[in-house]
Amino acid sequence: MSVNYSPVLWNKQKKLYDLILWIGILFMAVTFIIFQVLFHKDITLQTLIIRTTAIIAFFLLHIILIIGPLCRIDKRFLPLLYNRRHLGVSMFLVALIHGGMAIVQFHTLGDTNPIASIFTANSNYLAISDFPFQVLGFLALIILFLMAITSHDFWLKNLSPAIWKGLHMCVYLAYTLIVIHVATGALQYEDNPIYWTLLVLGVITITGLHLYTGIIETRKLSLPHTLEKEGYYKVCSLEEIDDQCGKSVFINGENIAIFKYDGNVSAVHNVCKHQMGPIGEGKIIDGCITCPWHGYQYLPDNGQSPPPFNEKLKTYRTSVLDGSIWVHPLPLEEGSFIEPTKIPQS
Amino acid sequence: MNKENSFFVGWKDDMPKANRSLLIKFIVVLFISIPLLTFLIVKSQKPFNNHIFEFGNVKEFTGIYHADPVPILEVTDNKIPEGFSNYVLLVGFGKFGAEGIISNIEKSSGPLNGLKVTLQGTLIYGDGRYLMELTKKEDSLIKIFDEPTVANTHLYDRKKDGYSGEILDPKCYFGVMKPGEGKIHKSCAIRCISGGIPPVFRANIENGQYEYFLLLGPNGEKINKAILNDVAELVTIDGETSIINGWPVLYANPSDIIRINKKSYYAQD
Repeated sequence: MSVNYSPVLWNKQKKLYDLILWIGILFMAVTFIIFQVLFHKDITLQTLIIRTTAIIAFFLLHIILIIGPLCRIDKRFLPLLYNRRHLGVSMFLVALIHGGMAIVQFHTLGDTNPIASIFTANSNYLAISDFPFQVLGFLALIILFLMAITSHDFWLKNLSPAIWKGLHMCVYLAYTLIVIHVATGALQYEDNPIYWTLLVLGVITITGLHLYTGIIETRKLSLPHTLEKEGYYKVCSLEEIDDQCGKSVFINGENIAIFKYDGNVSAVHNVCKHQMGPIGEGKIIDGCITCPWHGYQYLPDNGQSPPPFNEKLKTYRTSVLDGSIWVHPLPLEEGSFIEPTKIPQS
Repeated sequence: MNKENSFFVGWKDDMPKANRSLLIKFIVVLFISIPLLTFLIVKSQKPFNNHIFEFGNVKEFTGIYHADPVPILEVTDNKIPEGFSNYVLLVGFGKFGAEGIISNIEKSSGPLNGLKVTLQGTLIYGDGRYLMELTKKEDSLIKIFDEPTVANTHLYDRKKDGYSGEILDPKCYFGVMKPGEGKIHKSCAIRCISGGIPPVFRANIENGQYEYFLLLGPNGEKINKAILNDVAELVTIDGETSIINGWPVLYANPSDIIRINKKSYYAQD
């Protein structure tokens, strides 16, 4: 968390993350180039650059897209998510080399503006196998560019989390465009079935993991909470929540995070103000609810970030009765103080 | 999983052991899979041809310049190696034909057709064919010889013929790009042919052997713009064949260019 904007707030974790990331990128580039030179000595430098960057960027995009579901399946993957935007920006830079080199190679020094040429050289837009695949790659690159330049928290704050999140969810559109770009481009030339196999495996992995975690999440959140007294709904027993930890529930359209800490129970809105992370999967650290995604913090009794920060969450009334936690799904205004419910000493 | 021991906070210096242990395994798996994946991808690739573009190496050739139907230098100074035709197809810088450059040269030198000249340029060659890019543009002409000229191009009788194959831009195919054919190169080939580089039809003769035809209209006219949609596609073309200035020529009406699919193409092989 930071009050002021800095290009990157470096810390030990981020430095290690980026170090491993770029060693990985260079390792992939070196192995790919070595195999190309060994098995295809007639390859040109331009083709080598285009293909190397294509493989690395597409591989990185797959890693980026599986991080979310992996973290839902096992929280120990969360460090991968913490610095994911560095991964995204790195992937964009590699993709930019690929796209830039392809435009220079295939569209410059001709009788048409290179950008116009991308859209007009091959105009078989109604075809499938003959579709102008470079257009799809170009559009995907534009999306990745917009994501990369708005990746900083400055833009998150100024665009609002909802718009920022919406823009960055376009990564799935970019991925779809790139999959079709590959299918209608390289795979129309290369006829070894291994390429189709790899492409389909990638798509199945991404969609499969998202569907699996989506179903699990939906089941968790849609557990019926029907036992109601005076507007309060019974959500779980006290034992179901570890001390200093939380639980996410969905009642009457409200996404609520309930926390048990220091003999108290409090409830706040389950969506982090930073990047809409699942607050309920966080933990109480130094007396504050700490979001599992990027460590944003809120006080459990009023949903406010501790000074000097000014993020605020809606709060909910809670109750403890016969060893069970109850919550009232009618939210109070963001930052409203609610006296924590004391857990009776047994 | 013990939540107490695995809650990660990015802004803290230390990562819980449980996270570190899993991530090390994850990273090791990635680093093992990377060379396996790259090996699989590279090994499964189509091979590249051995054509050459002598980028950065400008050479001089002397011979008879033929303007029609496309700019060709009939090299007479024995610099062309055995196994290659000495009829060198001339192309311009970038994605342009040579005609614009030759036209500019002729403004000061007069018509070059049929004259013995020395030209400089960058060589592109493969599969028995030579091309020369007039890299230095208007400075490509080194010398005009004051010798008797060859007035006519070498013409042979036409005969009806038809082949299946692919329409290529010869500059890329014979060495500038790898691969200079197929779908991934299609946009570039369209740009090159649109820019005046003579389209070449790579006909599948038999057993993987190719014949390269300059592709012209029924009356020998240029049909570059009319065939752009069929460039880099597998097609059959029926027309008449001949040889002009050492290059086989296929005279065809653009409407007689028929798309075929890979299955029928390879069935004819």
